[in-house]
Amino acid sequence: MLKCKEVVEKADALVDGTPLSWRERFALRLHLMMCHHCRRYVRQLQSLVASLRNRTPPPVSDDQVSKVMNQLDSKS
Amino acid sequence: MQLDAPDFIARLKQGDRTAFGQLVKEHHGFLLSTARSLLSPADAEEAVQDAWIAAHRAIGKFEGRSQLRTWLTRIVINQARMMLRKQGREIQFDPTDDNDVLAHRFREGGHWQHAPRQWDLGGPDSLLTRDELRHCMAKCLDGMPENQRLVLELRDMQGMDFDSICNMLDISASNVRVLLHRARARLFELVDHFQETGEC
Repeated sequence: MLKCKEVVEKADALVDGTPLSWRERFALRLHLMMCHHCRRYVRQLQSLVASLRNRTPPPVSDDQVSKVMNQLDSKS
Repeated sequence: MQLDAPDFIARLKQGDRTAFGQLVKEHHGFLLSTARSLLSPADAEEAVQDAWIAAHRAIGKFEGRSQLRTWLTRIVINQARMMLRKQGREIQFDPTDDNDVLAHRFREGGHWQHAPRQWDLGGPDSLLTRDELRHCMAKCLDGMPENQRLVLELRDMQGMDFDSICNMLDISASNVRVLLHRARARLFELVDHFQETGEC
Protein backbone atom coordinates (compact mmCIF):
# COMPACT_ATOMS: atom_id res chain seq x y z
CA MET A 1 0.00 0.00 0.00
CA LEU A 2 1.43 3.39 -1.02
CA LYS A 3 1.93 6.06 1.61
CA CYS A 4 0.35 9.50 1.13
CA LYS A 5 3.81 11.05 0.71
CA GLU A 6 4.51 8.66 -2.17
CA VAL A 7 1.18 9.49 -3.78
CA VAL A 8 2.05 13.19 -3.66
CA GLU A 9 5.40 12.42 -5.29
CA LYS A 10 3.67 10.48 -8.07
CA ALA A 11 0.74 12.88 -8.50
CA ASP A 12 2.68 14.93 -11.07
CA ALA A 13 2.74 11.89 -13.35
CA LEU A 14 -1.07 11.80 -13.22
CA VAL A 15 -1.28 15.53 -13.98
CA ASP A 16 1.23 15.24 -16.85
CA GLY A 17 -0.21 12.04 -18.29
CA THR A 18 3.18 10.32 -17.89
CA PRO A 19 2.86 6.60 -18.66
CA LEU A 20 3.01 4.47 -15.49
CA SER A 21 3.41 0.71 -15.18
CA TRP A 22 0.15 -1.15 -14.48
CA ARG A 23 1.48 -1.90 -10.99
CA GLU A 24 2.08 1.81 -10.23
CA ARG A 25 -1.26 2.80 -11.72
CA PHE A 26 -3.08 0.12 -9.73
CA ALA A 27 -1.37 1.15 -6.47
CA LEU A 28 -2.22 4.82 -7.07
CA ARG A 29 -5.86 4.12 -7.97
CA LEU A 30 -6.27 1.88 -4.94
CA HIS A 31 -4.83 4.51 -2.61
CA LEU A 32 -6.91 7.30 -4.14
CA MET A 33 -10.08 5.24 -3.75
CA MET A 34 -9.46 5.02 -0.03
CA CYS A 35 -7.83 8.37 0.84
CA HIS A 36 -9.89 11.53 0.41
CA HIS A 37 -6.95 13.77 1.43
CA CYS A 38 -4.88 12.47 -1.48
CA ARG A 39 -7.87 12.69 -3.85
CA ARG A 40 -8.18 16.33 -2.84
CA TYR A 41 -4.45 16.91 -3.33
CA VAL A 42 -4.51 15.46 -6.86
CA ARG A 43 -7.69 17.34 -7.83
CA GLN A 44 -6.35 20.66 -6.55
CA LEU A 45 -2.93 20.14 -8.12
CA GLN A 46 -4.69 19.54 -11.46
CA SER A 47 -6.61 22.82 -11.02
CA LEU A 48 -3.44 24.68 -10.15
CA VAL A 49 -1.57 23.40 -13.22
CA ALA A 50 -4.60 24.09 -15.45
CA SER A 51 -4.64 27.69 -14.17
CA LEU A 52 -0.95 28.12 -14.96
CA ARG A 53 -1.46 26.76 -18.47
CA ASN A 54 -4.22 29.27 -19.11
CA ARG A 55 -1.89 32.19 -18.41
CA THR A 56 -0.55 33.98 -21.45
CA PRO A 57 2.10 36.70 -21.47
CA PRO A 58 0.86 40.27 -22.03
CA PRO A 59 0.35 41.04 -25.75
CA VAL A 60 3.35 42.45 -27.58
CA SER A 61 2.79 46.02 -28.78
CA ASP A 62 3.70 47.23 -32.26
CA ASP A 63 6.24 49.55 -30.59
CA GLN A 64 8.03 46.57 -29.06
CA VAL A 65 8.13 44.81 -32.43
CA SER A 66 9.49 47.97 -34.09
CA LYS A 67 12.17 48.28 -31.42
CA VAL A 68 13.35 44.73 -32.07
CA MET A 69 13.27 45.22 -35.85
CA ASN A 70 15.18 48.52 -35.64
CA GLN A 71 17.89 46.84 -33.57
CA LEU A 72 18.11 44.09 -36.17
CA ASP A 73 18.49 46.66 -38.93
CA SER A 74 21.25 48.48 -37.08
CA LYS A 75 23.18 45.26 -36.33
CA SER A 76 22.97 43.69 -39.78
CA MET B 1 -0.79 32.47 -40.88
CA GLN B 2 0.75 29.26 -39.51
CA LEU B 3 4.17 30.33 -38.24
CA ASP B 4 5.67 26.86 -38.40
CA ALA B 5 4.47 26.19 -41.96
CA PRO B 6 7.23 25.42 -44.51
CA ASP B 7 6.31 28.40 -46.72
CA PHE B 8 6.55 30.80 -43.76
CA ILE B 9 9.94 29.35 -42.77
CA ALA B 10 11.06 29.70 -46.40
CA ARG B 11 10.10 33.40 -46.29
CA LEU B 12 12.14 33.84 -43.09
CA LYS B 13 15.13 32.18 -44.69
CA GLN B 14 14.84 34.48 -47.70
CA GLY B 15 15.14 37.47 -45.35
CA ASP B 16 11.49 38.60 -45.59
CA ARG B 17 11.31 41.46 -43.07
CA THR B 18 7.51 41.32 -42.71
CA ALA B 19 7.66 37.62 -41.89
CA PHE B 20 10.35 38.23 -39.28
CA GLY B 21 8.18 40.98 -37.75
CA GLN B 22 5.32 38.47 -37.50
CA LEU B 23 7.65 36.04 -35.78
CA VAL B 24 8.65 38.69 -33.24
CA LYS B 25 5.02 39.66 -32.62
CA GLU B 26 4.06 36.04 -32.00
CA HIS B 27 6.92 34.93 -29.77
CA HIS B 28 8.44 38.00 -28.08
CA GLY B 29 6.16 37.83 -25.03
CA PHE B 30 6.87 34.15 -24.39
CA LEU B 31 10.60 34.66 -24.85
CA LEU B 32 10.62 37.58 -22.41
CA SER B 33 8.75 35.47 -19.93
CA THR B 34 11.35 32.70 -20.28
CA ALA B 35 14.26 35.13 -19.89
CA ARG B 36 12.65 36.65 -16.78
CA SER B 37 12.80 33.22 -15.14
CA LEU B 38 16.56 33.67 -15.03
CA LEU B 39 17.26 37.40 -15.20
CA SER B 40 16.12 40.78 -13.92
CA PRO B 41 13.53 42.49 -16.18
CA ALA B 42 16.15 44.83 -17.71
CA ASP B 43 18.63 42.01 -18.37
CA ALA B 44 15.82 39.84 -19.76
CA GLU B 45 14.97 42.57 -22.31
CA GLU B 46 18.60 42.72 -23.37
CA ALA B 47 18.96 38.92 -23.57
CA VAL B 48 15.85 38.59 -25.74
CA GLN B 49 16.97 41.43 -28.01
CA ASP B 50 20.35 39.71 -28.43
CA ALA B 51 18.55 36.42 -29.03
CA TRP B 52 16.53 37.97 -31.88
CA ILE B 53 19.76 39.20 -33.48
CA ALA B 54 21.30 35.72 -33.11
CA ALA B 55 18.13 34.08 -34.48
CA HIS B 56 18.04 36.48 -37.45
CA ARG B 57 21.63 35.54 -38.31
CA ALA B 58 21.03 31.80 -37.83
CA ILE B 59 17.58 31.41 -39.42
CA GLY B 60 19.17 30.21 -42.68
CA LYS B 61 20.48 27.17 -40.80
CA PHE B 62 17.15 26.36 -39.09
CA GLU B 63 16.47 22.74 -40.01
CA GLY B 64 12.92 22.48 -38.71
CA ARG B 65 13.75 19.60 -36.37
CA SER B 66 11.92 21.43 -33.59
CA GLN B 67 9.21 24.06 -33.60
CA LEU B 68 10.34 27.64 -34.10
CA ARG B 69 9.27 28.53 -30.54
CA THR B 70 11.48 25.76 -29.13
CA TRP B 71 14.41 26.83 -31.29
CA LEU B 72 14.00 30.48 -30.25
CA THR B 73 13.63 29.55 -26.58
CA ARG B 74 16.88 27.59 -26.71
CA ILE B 75 18.64 30.69 -28.11
CA VAL B 76 17.16 32.89 -25.36
CA ILE B 77 18.24 30.47 -22.63
CA ASN B 78 21.76 30.37 -24.06
CA GLN B 79 21.89 34.18 -24.13
CA ALA B 80 20.59 34.34 -20.56
CA ARG B 81 23.13 31.79 -19.32
CA MET B 82 25.93 33.66 -21.10
CA MET B 83 24.82 36.88 -19.41
CA LEU B 84 24.73 35.15 -16.02
CA ARG B 85 28.24 33.75 -16.55
CA LYS B 86 29.49 37.28 -17.24
CA GLN B 87 27.98 38.25 -13.87
CA GLY B 88 29.81 35.31 -12.26
CA ARG B 89 26.65 33.24 -11.83
CA GLU B 90 25.73 29.82 -13.13
CA ILE B 91 22.39 27.97 -13.05
CA GLN B 92 22.71 24.49 -11.56
CA PHE B 93 20.13 21.94 -12.61
CA ASP B 94 21.01 19.44 -9.90
CA PRO B 95 17.89 19.42 -7.73
CA THR B 96 19.57 18.12 -4.56
CA ASP B 97 20.14 21.59 -3.13
CA ASP B 98 16.53 22.28 -2.17
CA ASN B 99 14.04 20.34 -0.07
CA ASP B 100 10.45 19.54 -0.89
CA VAL B 101 8.35 22.22 0.80
CA LEU B 102 5.51 19.75 1.42
CA ALA B 103 7.73 17.43 3.50
CA HIS B 104 6.59 18.98 6.80
CA ARG B 105 3.00 17.97 6.08
CA PHE B 106 3.65 14.26 6.56
CA ARG B 107 4.12 12.09 9.65
CA GLU B 108 7.20 9.94 9.91
CA GLY B 109 5.24 7.01 8.48
CA GLY B 110 4.47 8.99 5.32
CA HIS B 111 0.79 9.75 5.96
CA TRP B 112 -0.74 13.23 6.13
CA GLN B 113 -0.25 15.20 9.30
CA HIS B 114 -1.52 18.46 7.77
CA ALA B 115 -3.70 17.50 4.83
CA PRO B 116 -4.56 20.16 2.21
CA ARG B 117 -7.63 22.28 2.78
CA GLN B 118 -10.61 22.24 0.45
CA TRP B 119 -9.96 25.07 -2.02
CA ASP B 120 -12.65 27.33 -3.29
CA LEU B 121 -12.52 26.37 -6.98
CA GLY B 122 -15.10 27.78 -9.36
CA GLY B 123 -13.45 26.34 -12.47
CA PRO B 124 -9.99 25.79 -13.95
CA ASP B 125 -9.46 29.54 -14.47
CA SER B 126 -10.79 30.76 -11.17
CA LEU B 127 -7.64 30.31 -9.09
CA LEU B 128 -5.71 33.04 -10.83
CA THR B 129 -8.57 35.43 -11.48
CA ARG B 130 -8.18 36.88 -7.97
CA ASP B 131 -5.76 39.79 -8.00
CA GLU B 132 -4.48 39.11 -4.48
CA LEU B 133 -3.62 35.52 -5.30
CA ARG B 134 -1.97 36.52 -8.58
CA HIS B 135 0.16 38.98 -6.62
CA CYS B 136 1.11 36.25 -4.10
CA MET B 137 1.90 33.89 -6.94
CA ALA B 138 4.21 36.46 -8.56
CA LYS B 139 6.00 36.90 -5.20
CA CYS B 140 6.35 33.14 -4.82
CA LEU B 141 7.79 32.86 -8.34
CA ASP B 142 10.28 35.64 -7.55
CA GLY B 143 11.48 33.75 -4.49
CA MET B 144 11.75 30.40 -6.23
CA PRO B 145 15.17 28.97 -7.20
CA GLU B 146 15.83 29.84 -10.86
CA ASN B 147 16.12 26.21 -11.95
CA GLN B 148 12.62 25.41 -10.62
CA ARG B 149 11.14 28.62 -12.01
CA LEU B 150 12.53 27.95 -15.49
CA VAL B 151 11.24 24.38 -15.63
CA LEU B 152 7.81 25.53 -14.38
CA GLU B 153 7.75 28.29 -16.99
CA LEU B 154 8.64 25.94 -19.85
CA ARG B 155 6.38 23.07 -18.84
CA ASP B 156 3.36 24.56 -17.11
CA MET B 157 3.13 28.05 -18.54
CA GLN B 158 4.29 27.37 -22.08
CA GLY B 159 3.22 23.73 -22.34
CA MET B 160 6.52 22.40 -23.70
CA ASP B 161 6.98 18.62 -23.71
CA PHE B 162 9.50 16.93 -21.44
CA ASP B 163 11.82 15.84 -24.26
CA SER B 164 12.19 19.42 -25.51
CA ILE B 165 12.93 20.68 -22.01
CA CYS B 166 15.53 17.95 -21.38
CA ASN B 167 17.25 18.68 -24.69
CA MET B 168 17.12 22.42 -24.21
CA LEU B 169 18.60 22.38 -20.71
CA ASP B 170 20.74 19.30 -21.26
CA ILE B 171 19.43 17.60 -18.12
CA SER B 172 17.83 14.24 -17.44
CA ALA B 173 14.06 13.69 -17.44
CA SER B 174 14.20 12.69 -13.78
CA ASN B 175 15.86 16.00 -12.84
CA VAL B 176 13.23 17.92 -14.81
CA ARG B 177 10.49 16.03 -12.98
CA VAL B 178 12.02 16.66 -9.54
CA LEU B 179 12.43 20.40 -10.26
CA LEU B 180 8.88 20.61 -11.60
CA HIS B 181 7.47 18.75 -8.60
CA ARG B 182 9.24 21.12 -6.20
CA ALA B 183 8.10 24.21 -8.06
CA ARG B 184 4.49 23.00 -8.10
CA ALA B 185 4.74 22.03 -4.42
CA ARG B 186 5.78 25.61 -3.56
CA LEU B 187 2.79 27.00 -5.43
CA PHE B 188 0.46 24.41 -3.92
CA GLU B 189 1.65 25.39 -0.46
CA LEU B 190 1.11 29.06 -1.28
CA VAL B 191 -2.45 28.56 -2.59
CA ASP B 192 -3.35 26.34 0.36
CA HIS B 193 -2.12 29.00 2.78
CA PHE B 194 -3.93 31.72 0.83
CA GLN B 195 -7.17 29.76 0.92
CA GLU B 196 -6.93 29.65 4.71
CA THR B 197 -5.71 33.15 5.49
CA GLY B 198 -6.33 35.30 2.39
CA GLU B 199 -2.66 36.30 2.61
CA CYS B 200 0.57 35.26 0.90
